[in-house]
Amino acid sequence: MSQARVIASSPFKKKGELAPPRRKLKTPWLFIFLCMSPWLFGIIFFTAYPMISSFYQSFTKFNLIESPKWVGLENFHRMFFEDSDFWQALKNTVWISVISIPLRIAFAMFTAWVLTKPKRGRNIYRTIFFLPSMVPAVAATMAFTYIFNPAYGPINRMLEAIGIKEPPFWFLDPKWSKWGLILLGLWGIGDTMIIFLAGLLDVPTSLYEAASLEGASGWQSFRYITLPLMTPVIFFSTVTGVIGSFQYFTQAYVASGQVNDYSHSMYFYATHIYFSAFRAYEMGYASALAWVLLVITLLCTLVILKTQKRWVHYPNGSLFK
Amino acid sequence: MMKKRLFASFAATALVAASMVATTGVAQAAPRTVTVWSPYQGANLDMWNAAIKRIEAANPGLTVKSVGNIDMAKSLAAINAGNGPDISVSNGNGNLGWFCGSGAWQKLNTLVAGKDGIDMKTTFNAAAVASSISNNNRCALPLYSEIFAFYWNKDLLAKAGYTTPPKTTTDLLAYSQKLTTFNSDGSIKTAGFVPWAGYYGFDMDSMWLGQMFGAKWYGGDRNSAFASDVKWAKAFNWQKDFIAKVYGGGNFDKGSKLLTKFVAARGGEWGTDHDFMTGRVAMKWDANWMAPMFCTGDDWTMAEKCTAKLNFGIAGFPVSPDNLSAYGSGVVGQGQMGISKGSKNVKDAWIVMKALATDTKLAAAWDAANGAPSSLLAKEARPANQPTWYLPIYDVANNPKSAYHIVKNTGEHLEEALLQNLMASWQAGDTANIKSALSDLAEKVNQIISRNS
Repeated sequence: MSQARVIASSPFKKKGELAPPRRKLKTPWLFIFLCMSPWLFGIIFFTAYPMISSFYQSFTKFNLIESPKWVGLENFHRMFFEDSDFWQALKNTVWISVISIPLRIAFAMFTAWVLTKPKRGRNIYRTIFFLPSMVPAVAATMAFTYIFNPAYGPINRMLEAIGIKEPPFWFLDPKWSKWGLILLGLWGIGDTMIIFLAGLLDVPTSLYEAASLEGASGWQSFRYITLPLMTPVIFFSTVTGVIGSFQYFTQAYVASGQVNDYSHSMYFYATHIYFSAFRAYEMGYASALAWVLLVITLLCTLVILKTQKRWVHYPNGSLFK
Repeated sequence: MMKKRLFASFAATALVAASMVATTGVAQAAPRTVTVWSPYQGANLDMWNAAIKRIEAANPGLTVKSVGNIDMAKSLAAINAGNGPDISVSNGNGNLGWFCGSGAWQKLNTLVAGKDGIDMKTTFNAAAVASSISNNNRCALPLYSEIFAFYWNKDLLAKAGYTTPPKTTTDLLAYSQKLTTFNSDGSIKTAGFVPWAGYYGFDMDSMWLGQMFGAKWYGGDRNSAFASDVKWAKAFNWQKDFIAKVYGGGNFDKGSKLLTKFVAARGGEWGTDHDFMTGRVAMKWDANWMAPMFCTGDDWTMAEKCTAKLNFGIAGFPVSPDNLSAYGSGVVGQGQMGISKGSKNVKDAWIVMKALATDTKLAAAWDAANGAPSSLLAKEARPANQPTWYLPIYDVANNPKSAYHIVKNTGEHLEEALLQNLMASWQAGDTANIKSALSDLAEKVNQIISRNS
């Protein structure tokens, strides 16, 4: 670097004067640490420590009163080979994931698409559709068990009025209870819908205009313009949907309590962890269940991530190269 | 003389020194403090604390710290952390197996049998003696009782021609057939009796069903008796037969569907729209603490005369014809208290716990306020201060066949929940073979016990 250039780049020095040698600034580690300390505290004590502790406990027998006893892989052996409730809970969880995620995505996209149409009162409609997602899960579930009550609920009254003589017993019937939960999930679709709405509004209108000039039908515009450009949103919703559905708890727990679901038709994986920990007081086993859940969720997410190259279209290239 | 003076002054100095040492010794003695955690609040806590004051007065130098509004979950967490109380109180005895088996409560066998122990059989009623033991270990003393009995609507039964409650399960079926009515669309209008898991939230129907048939929960080998005691299969088959005959005109599936809908339309549990109060059901199992509500409508305090329209009676459960000697009994549970693991003052904790369990003043005050008979025999049979209509509760409480089932370390009494699940599955028609299902259930319960032992 030439001398002239050094001087030119130093606005506080007179022309022709040499800039003094730069002092090496000390990195203010203490200050940085202090700024980060709330986060560090949180991650160490509320995430890392519980995770490490539960990982250790998953290899122990621990009833909260006595000290944990090392049992090796016994908890995992029991889970896969002896615990019928584990399989029942896993089956129910997989069912709700497989059915609800595609339905939620389709319904959210459809609702969002409908909401792009009104010319007037657009924000009012959006607010109305978003509101259910703000209702607390417990209150919403209790309301649903009421409106789906086979004896006095308005849903079955309406179904009877339109000629369905024996409408389902919904939450009281093991064959229909999970469908009740699916409908509850679809009702509260607002949060996913908002993301789809943002995605739909982000599609350049010029593409539709060009397609229209080329004589494309509505379906073709959707199939070849909207759908490909919405795949990043679909991908995001699928990943978060999988993670969320494997942790599905509140609605199922409340609905089960409301209708005394002794048949375990609404017994999900997270419920099994809860019952193992706080009803059977088997903390070691509950920890093992939680770690298996983490592995299952991680595997599912990885599979979706791996396949995304084939079906997710990013206008500016993939985020996950 | 000089020698005498010297000796006197030496002796005086020695006495002063000795007394100072003794005084210092007294000052250094560990203070005798016992901490008691209970779930009680309000008036109940006041009664409890009054009893504790009496204990302190009777035991100079002993301080008892009473803390209310603490449930067993909090107590267990503290016991686990090593800073629990000396004595903790649980509202029921379902979890006793867990408290005993996990070591949260210490074994009291030696203390009970010792010089300052208690003769359990002459002090408490039979149900209380039995239900405060787990795995042959006594680690609790009983407090007040919770009684589950049979309630019947006198007016509805009189209309059907009955003046007494059913004594046997056969009677119950016959009564119900007469009392059950249907709407024009075939749905159930009023039910005689509903043997249905989950009819009301706080009913442990499967437990009552077992009591009616005299079915045992555990066998002599300490294993689950769900499979080995044929009375369980008999009880479940009776339930199915009852649903078919009373509600389905002989068709179980039809009866099950009609009952599902009937149960779904039940009135609220805690007020005047309760099915038993509206006459929607004529007979039912329920707890003693529901009786004041049935009597007054929505006031939960004990009334001398019932003001609600409902004219009802209380009796023991109807029993199967081969279990007639158990007629008059019901299911009786108890509040329990135990000495926590890690208590540093077991000797004084025992003094306090024994005094609380045997305090007749506390028992009387508790009973007067809550209609919850104490487990103490001294005041039991039909106390004069309770209204006449409520007195059958005491007969059920003191019936020698009244009991809670034996408790084992199944976590939070999981065997009860599992049996209730089976009953629900069976009544819905989802379980085809009850013997095989009971066998699977027994194996599951044994596995749980084995894991927890």
